[in-house]
Amino acid sequence: MAAVSLDHGLILAAILFVIGFVGLLTRRNLIVALACIEIMLNAAGLAFVVAGARWGSADGQVMFLFVLAMAAAEVAVGLALAIRFRQSLGRLDVDDADEMKG
Amino acid sequence: MLQLLWIVPALPAAGFVVLLLLNRHLSRRATALIGAGSVGLSAVVAILIAVSFITSPPPGDAYRQVLWTWFDTGGLAPQIAFYLDAMSVVFMVVITFVGFLIHLYSTEFMERDEGFTRFFMYMNLFVASMLVLVLADNLLLLYLGWEGVGMCSYLLIAFWQKDVQNVYCGRKAFIVTRVGDTALIVGLFLLFTQLHTLEIQPLMAGAAKNWAAGSGVAVAAAALLLGGAVGKSAQLPLQTWLPDAMAGPTPVSALIHAATMVTAGVYLIARTNVLFTLAPDVRLAVAIIGTVTLLYACFSALAQHDIKRVLAYSTMSQIGYMFLALGVAGWSAAIFHFMTHAFFKALLFLAAGVVIEALGGEHDIFKMGGLRRKLPTAFWAFIIGAASLSALPLITDGFYSKDLIIETSLGAVDGNAWLWLGALAGSLLTSIYAFRLVFVVFFGEQQTPVTLHPRWRMKLPLVVLSVLSVVGGFVWLPGWMGGFHPFETFLDTALPVTQTVAGSFAYTGVAALLTSLIAVVGVALATVWLVESRAALARFAARPTPHDVQTFWLNGWGFDWLYEHVFVIPVKWFARVARGDLVEPAFSGIAWLNLQAWRALSASQNGQLRVYIGVAGVGLAVIVAFVVLR
Amino acid sequence: MTSGDLITLLPLIALTVTPVVVMLAAAFYRSHALALALTLVGLAATIVSLFVAATRTGRQVTPLLSFDTYALFYIGLLTVATAAVAILSWSYLQRRHVHPEEYYMLLLTATLGGAVLVASTHFASFFLGLEILSVSLYALIVYPIYRDQFVEAAVKYLVLAGATSAFLVFGMALVYAETGTMTASGLAPILSAGLGGQDVVVALGIVLILVGVGFKLAVVPFHMWTPDVYQGAPAPVGAYVATVSKGAVLALLLRYFWPVSLDTGSSLFLVFAAVAIASMVAGNLLALRQDNVKRILAYSSIANLGYLLVAFLAAGEQAAVAVTFFLVAYFATTLVAFGVVAALSTPERDAESMDDYRGLARTRRWTAVAFTVALFSLAGMPLTVGFMGKFYVVTAGAGAALWALIIVLVLTSTIGLYYYTRIVVAMWVRQPDENADAVGAAVGGGSAAVLAALTAFLIVFGVYPAPLIQLIERAVATLP
Repeated sequence: MAAVSLDHGLILAAILFVIGFVGLLTRRNLIVALACIEIMLNAAGLAFVVAGARWGSADGQVMFLFVLAMAAAEVAVGLALAIRFRQSLGRLDVDDADEMKG
Repeated sequence: MLQLLWIVPALPAAGFVVLLLLNRHLSRRATALIGAGSVGLSAVVAILIAVSFITSPPPGDAYRQVLWTWFDTGGLAPQIAFYLDAMSVVFMVVITFVGFLIHLYSTEFMERDEGFTRFFMYMNLFVASMLVLVLADNLLLLYLGWEGVGMCSYLLIAFWQKDVQNVYCGRKAFIVTRVGDTALIVGLFLLFTQLHTLEIQPLMAGAAKNWAAGSGVAVAAAALLLGGAVGKSAQLPLQTWLPDAMAGPTPVSALIHAATMVTAGVYLIARTNVLFTLAPDVRLAVAIIGTVTLLYACFSALAQHDIKRVLAYSTMSQIGYMFLALGVAGWSAAIFHFMTHAFFKALLFLAAGVVIEALGGEHDIFKMGGLRRKLPTAFWAFIIGAASLSALPLITDGFYSKDLIIETSLGAVDGNAWLWLGALAGSLLTSIYAFRLVFVVFFGEQQTPVTLHPRWRMKLPLVVLSVLSVVGGFVWLPGWMGGFHPFETFLDTALPVTQTVAGSFAYTGVAALLTSLIAVVGVALATVWLVESRAALARFAARPTPHDVQTFWLNGWGFDWLYEHVFVIPVKWFARVARGDLVEPAFSGIAWLNLQAWRALSASQNGQLRVYIGVAGVGLAVIVAFVVLR
Repeated sequence: MTSGDLITLLPLIALTVTPVVVMLAAAFYRSHALALALTLVGLAATIVSLFVAATRTGRQVTPLLSFDTYALFYIGLLTVATAAVAILSWSYLQRRHVHPEEYYMLLLTATLGGAVLVASTHFASFFLGLEILSVSLYALIVYPIYRDQFVEAAVKYLVLAGATSAFLVFGMALVYAETGTMTASGLAPILSAGLGGQDVVVALGIVLILVGVGFKLAVVPFHMWTPDVYQGAPAPVGAYVATVSKGAVLALLLRYFWPVSLDTGSSLFLVFAAVAIASMVAGNLLALRQDNVKRILAYSSIANLGYLLVAFLAAGEQAAVAVTFFLVAYFATTLVAFGVVAALSTPERDAESMDDYRGLARTRRWTAVAFTVALFSLAGMPLTVGFMGKFYVVTAGAGAALWALIIVLVLTSTIGLYYYTRIVVAMWVRQPDENADAVGAAVGGGSAAVLAALTAFLIVFGVYPAPLIQLIERAVATLP
């Protein structure tokens, strides 16, 4: 298998990360926001895998597993929260949640 | 026994805490027990410690008890430590014992007041702070006590806060003493930066070793400490607050503004006597300030018609005597007079309180009169107190201490005739105003009826203090009376011995006779003017020039007017003129700036989640840009 | 991993077993009291295990965790804070008739996350600890569920924490990619060299990691969630977020930066300094005319982190002691403040408006005294431990000649006096409001005991800080 160079891998990860971040900033739907966070986390995970490949050790892939596990836990809580959010505020628009300010 | 030293300030402090926390839940009785009891217990322990100290003195005649080190950083490691020597023993016993008597008196005096618990809370805190002040081993702890008594003084002067005038009096006291306190703290900074310690004993040793007599730094340090002392002890020019401090309840005036807090300045100077010995000019200034103040106060006292204001000016003048003694290196003499003064001044104030309460709150002496049969305890207390104040020969304690000071003012190495004459003149005036008070209040026609009679809790302290005012002086008899002076020997273990000029006129029998005579003459004059020919005196006082002089003295020689015109009015005028000008906006501008900044920042917290993320992102971008481009 | 390592790991094991036990107990028999009791027993066992673990000499357990005295001290601190929060939560939750057993489980797992963080010497444990803490907090913030503000606060926290976690991980990946190291000791020379002379990727990576850290510490510009979450979360959870979550991350930061001496001109130093100044200024200014007491506490915590960063920047052993002491003082003070808020809350709403505190001295004398002491401690009045903390911070800063930072600290502290005194005045001078419904039933026994103990701590260690200082010095001395 031809090796993917470190730089290319990191750039891909960076692009994904930025896509996720921009999505987080622009989209108002809470589920989509959670999805964007997922994208960001996975982009970071990808970066780890690439880095691990560069150094020829399993550390990168191990970290990716950690990231994955953690993302799953977060999403689980996040989705439960999204349900509650919908019940309280009527819709999944994140901008609705601005009761507290100042 | 000496290890119990920390209990002495701890008991009133505990009393304060208990009264603070259980305020609403305590009955009058419980409050009185806790408030007066804590000080009483403290007095018992103090006396036991004193006895132990006197009978078996610790090595070096000083006992140091270190409780703990407050904090330890960069060379400054102040400890919570107490230092007990002969001088602090005297102060400690006087503060606790006289304090207890006054607390006992207050349980009856304040019994109908709704702020009963609050009163004892503040009084306990005061006693605790004052004890910390006199027992402190380092100047930082002393300053803590100093500030504590200042705050309590303010709280207690303004105690009857429903009348806003009382609050203004408290505020005035606070501000004027603040001026002195600022000088004191600058002095502390100076001492610390020069000698790298704030512990009093090493400080004195270090100063003696490293500073030449008359050197600039010694003069500066002594002068700054003097500034602090002058403020707290109500000497010229920071004396204007004391007469107004009489707005507080009479026990407050007795304890704080007569027996203890106002003597803090005396204590400070005596404690740091090494510095003053190294700066003879400043010490001379102390003597001069003392003398001028005592004369000023005597004249002012002559013209007052509020019974407490007479006593306030009297306190001012007696402290002037103590300053005079300190100024001529009569250290022990000053402490002796402090002790006797505490007895007879507290006595006078407490008796005045009896009179005021008996007449339903009347303070004007010209509305009193003829009370000697109606209030016998108060009458006899007043006679003894006034006699002691006038230093009538032999049978009063004031005689022994005041005449010792007058003697020292001439006979000490640093004494001179002007100081002596000033002290003598003051003595004459003192007898006059003291007995003026006695005659006007207790003799003549009764103007106001007596509605309340004191009971045992107000009478007992009067009796005890009367006894002390008579016998308290017998611990230091003058040379020509046999030289029985255990008190002086005791204090010599802590304070330098006064250098005297051998064979000075001051120590002759003639001088002593002269001094005694003057006191008696004063009483005689007062009798003549006020008992025999009161009407003639009134006619004299009504004439224009005497009347103006009297008004001048009544208003404290116009110091309030002076300060008002020199300081207050120009500042207010400047503030008015400068409003809208450069200076005002600088201050209100700061406030406005803060408010605008708040508005802007608060608007940024708009509750929008995506905005929060955005701000974080922008922050990140800025940081990254900064890091990468650098 | 040897059996000896297991003994060293005892604190973590205790913190893991306890929530499992609580969870199982709740599965069989739902009882609030039982859950709290098990929680407290577990936390006590953790404290005991600290002493047991301290007997071991080899403290590095796998490259991930190092249980030196520093870590053990902080784990102890976090555990005690959690115990206090747990007791304060009792009456808060009891009044609301929810089933609170899982709450305690989440509290314990969050503490577990914090414990992992303070012992972490490797990115893996850093990340794991942080995430265990965060996910637990997501659920804790929304726990009582039935009010919209809980949900709103939780959503804000989750989204922001998730996003910044992603930043953190990405940063770690970048650093690893360029340097091949993920351990604190490997990172030290890189940090020391500052960011200027580094490869862009590494510099970027470090900055991204600091974003993640900055969010948890609630420093500018990552602070915007703080007031909303503190206001929206239930009061005891607010206490937890304000103390344990920040403290754990700060302890980690201190450990990672310990061998690093930052040159005052380096970019990293300037970044930290700018963040510190911005936090001090913004934190104090934002609280100025704020009427919501919880928001005031939130802004005050932002400012306090700013003060802490000043000492952090001073570096050196004295500074580490100062940071830790200030943190301990901050823990105690915040727990008292939030504890009072929690104690006074009713099921309808938390006691967050300034009006709820008017005339408190008349109706609840002791509570008012406790709150006053806490506010004075936050303001840095002498005789409180907050004053000692600030004093040590200023001394550390002066020792490193960080004059600009110290001046900002002093000036902004003065601003702080204003809004703290506002609350004190409201409590002691104003008359109580007629709508006394916000002031709930008398403060419960457990809460009262905790508040009393902590208030005493505030005063005792303000006057006699020496034993605490010695303990901290011993802890800090073991940092490599």
